This record gives sequence, structure tokens and C-alpha cells, in this order.
Amino acid sequence: MKRQASAIRVFVRGIRTQKRVLGALIMRDVITRWGRRNLGFAWVFVEPLSFAVPVLLIWRAMRGDLEHGLPLTAFLWSGYLPILLFRHATNSSIGLIRGSSGLLYHHCVTPLDAFTSNFILDLVGSWAAMAFSFALFYLFGAMDLPENLGLFLGGIGIMAWWALSMALIVACLSERSEAFAHIWQTISYIYFIVCGFFFLCVWLPDKLRDLALATMPSVHAYEMIRAGLFGSKFRPYYDVGYVSFYLAIVTVIGLWLMRDVREHLEID
Amino acid sequence: MITVDSLVKDYPVEAGYGFHRVISNVSFTVAPGEKLAILGRNGAGKSTLIRLIAGIERPTSGVIERTMSVSWPIGFSGGLGGRMSGNDNIRFICRLYDKPFELVRAYVDDYAQLGKFLSDPVRTYSTGMRARLNFALSLAIDFDCYLIDEIIAAGDTRFQRRSYEELFERRADRSLILASHVPDIVKSYCSRALVMHHGRAKLFEDLDLAIAISNDL
Repeated sequence: MKRQASAIRVFVRGIRTQKRVLGALIMRDVITRWGRRNLGFAWVFVEPLSFAVPVLLIWRAMRGDLEHGLPLTAFLWSGYLPILLFRHATNSSIGLIRGSSGLLYHHCVTPLDAFTSNFILDLVGSWAAMAFSFALFYLFGAMDLPENLGLFLGGIGIMAWWALSMALIVACLSERSEAFAHIWQTISYIYFIVCGFFFLCVWLPDKLRDLALATMPSVHAYEMIRAGLFGSKFRPYYDVGYVSFYLAIVTVIGLWLMRDVREHLEID
Repeated sequence: MITVDSLVKDYPVEAGYGFHRVISNVSFTVAPGEKLAILGRNGAGKSTLIRLIAGIERPTSGVIERTMSVSWPIGFSGGLGGRMSGNDNIRFICRLYDKPFELVRAYVDDYAQLGKFLSDPVRTYSTGMRARLNFALSLAIDFDCYLIDEIIAAGDTRFQRRSYEELFERRADRSLILASHVPDIVKSYCSRALVMHHGRAKLFEDLDLAIAISNDL
């Protein structure tokens, strides 16, 4: 009984330390990333819009405002934002742990802490930009409200989990091999094509659709996001159970790699 | 108490397979209040040993047991964020180690004498200013054992004198592990010396002998 109580105390103290360390890291990252001067946090909103607005206008002029009978702006924008999170989170993870070696001087800070705080900032930035731009497009009449908000948010959540688990792996592998950091750029271009940004499963031939759903968690998430937005206008394909199982495995691999990432670090 | 037992650290060789042994089967203990010097030439493994004791790097094999709180290695680099101002660095360290900001800031301000520079980014500091900030912060956090990598040899004489006072007189009850090239400091303040050579280490009670040997290596 006594031993149990002390185990609980150790656990509670561990949680408290973890909370304190993460809080300190997040505040630090906020300052180094957005600074105290000039536009600061506003870049989170400006950056994605500065890319998206010209592209959307050109596309609209070329193709009209419907894609396979779906509203074009909503279709593209709901595709683009998750890609932005995936790219930001994985790219900022390359060399992240080596880059935060100054933090590892404090032995309460683990490589996983440095990673987590960085990812939380990427995620908050991405979701803030998403909320802001959807609200803006809605006000200007370029988008409707989602027909099924729960499904839409579920898809967004799975996208975040997918970005998290891949960023974990990228963070660890980029410390182990220089070559990986370069190859990752190529992989992320290929990802752009296969992730589900440009297509819906109903548009694909059966075999290709099965392959996409079996290999790419993001395809399930895109189906959920778009089914949430457009509801009954098309037949969605997704399997939350399968995709959760898939992502759990990727996450475990990432955490397992993170466990001994220190062995591969040389800190100056 | 810090107990180091059969410590080994290997680094992979840059080209090809194999490894380079930087620390080779090192054992020693540091009792509360003890001042231990680490002597040896550049590349003998002093800094690596300090990083291992600090828990920044993991040993290849062997054990390091710490029953007192150990500072981060206080040297020329590490521990500070270059893009943040001095004040933001203080704030970060306070959050991390759960200390009141106002008190720590007042102490650092008094000790490091950086004045208005505290609101500038640390990357604009000189090496000496950075050393002063880093050192003052670690003193403000109040550890049981301080790990010091060469830093006291840096800075002007005024900073050196204040550092000795703080570390060796006002905190005589604290432990200290000090990597140094300066015989005077070692002789006047340390009780034992660990002489390192090619990753091996030998403990000496006789400081004069230790200094003589490390000069001959």
C-alpha cells in the first residue's frame, strides 16, 4: 500500500515536471519563432494565404468554380492546408534535435520534449491559419459551412496525428543519416501527388483506390474532411479503425526511434 | 554523491566502420563538498566526461549515479538561446528549474553586470558576456554540484576573482568538478585531481604530482 502511494507520488511529480518543461519550451519557441517585434504571430495567417489566394484565383479563371461538381475553392483549400501542416511539421523536424542541443544541456529536457514543443507550435499555427482562412472565405461567400462538422474535424484530427507520427520519424532518421534529410525533400514532393489533395476515391479505378486506401492514411483523412464539407454530394471511402491502427504503428516506430536518438547525437 | 563506475564512451568514426574510444573504463566518486579537478591535454576526454556526468550524452557502457542535483556544464557554449534576449533566457531557465524570475534576474543582473544588454539577443554578446550570463544563471539556480569546463580561466580578472569567491568561499559546502588548464586554481582550491590521457583516467591525491604528470603527457 505504501509502495503504491509512493509510486503514485513519483508519477504525479513526473507529470508536473513534464508540464513545467513543456511549458518553458513552448514559451521559448514562441519567442524564437515569432519574436517580440514586427508581424510576429500574424505570419501564421499571412503566409498560407499569400500562397493560396493567387493560386486559387488563377485556377478559378482557368477551370471555372466547380471541380467534378464540387465547389472548387473549398475543395482545393481543404486539400492544401493539411499539406501545409505535414510539410511544416516534417521539414521543421529535420535536424531539429541537433539544432536544439543547447536545450539538452539541461538534463530535465529530453529530445522528445524539444520535438513535442516544436510540433505543438506547428499544429497551433496550422489550425489557427485554418480557422482564420475558412472564416474569411465563408464571409466572402467562397465557402459554405461544413455539412457534417464532426466528420470534418475528425479528418483534421487524423491529419494532425499523421503529421505528428511522420515528423517523429523524420526527426529521428535525419539525425542518423545525412542522406535522409536530402531524400526527404523528394519524398515530400511525391507525397504531394499521392496524399489525396487532388482526388477523391470515387474518381479512381477500383484497384488504384484500394491501393491508395491501404497505403496512405491521408487519403482516409481527406475523404472524411471532404465528406464533412460536402456531405451527400459524393460517396466517401474511409475506415477510421484501419487508419487508427496504421497510425498507432507509425507512432510506436517513431517513439522507438526517439528512445535512442541521443546515441546518434554529437553535441558541441 | 556522484558515483562513476566503469564508464565507457565511444563515438562512431566519421569515415567507414568502427569507433573511437573517448572515455575508457573510468571510475571515481565525488562526495558532497568535494572539489575535483580534471586535468589533461586538449582532446583527452575532459569535456566529454563532463557532458556524460551532466546527462547530456549517454554512456556507451558503465553507470553514473547522482544523488545530488548537478548543474548543466558551464562553459563557453550551450545552455543559452542565441536568438533570445538575456532576459528571455533568464525567464526560460526560471520556468525550467521552477525558480522565481524576479529574484533570479536581480541576482544575475548584479553578478554578471550586463546592464541594458540583458534586453539584447544573446547572439550579439561577446564570449565573455555570454560566459558571465551562463555562469551567473547557474549560480542563481543553486545546484549541489557545479560542472565547470574551463570557463573561470576566461573573462577579466575581476570576473575571475568574483567567480572564485562565489564558488570556493561562499559555497564551500557545494561540490565542484572543474576541468582546467590553470595549475594555480587547481592547487589552491581542489582536493583531488583526475588526470586524463587518451580516454583513460587516474585519480591523484597529490595535486603537485598530478599537475607535473599532466604537463609531461
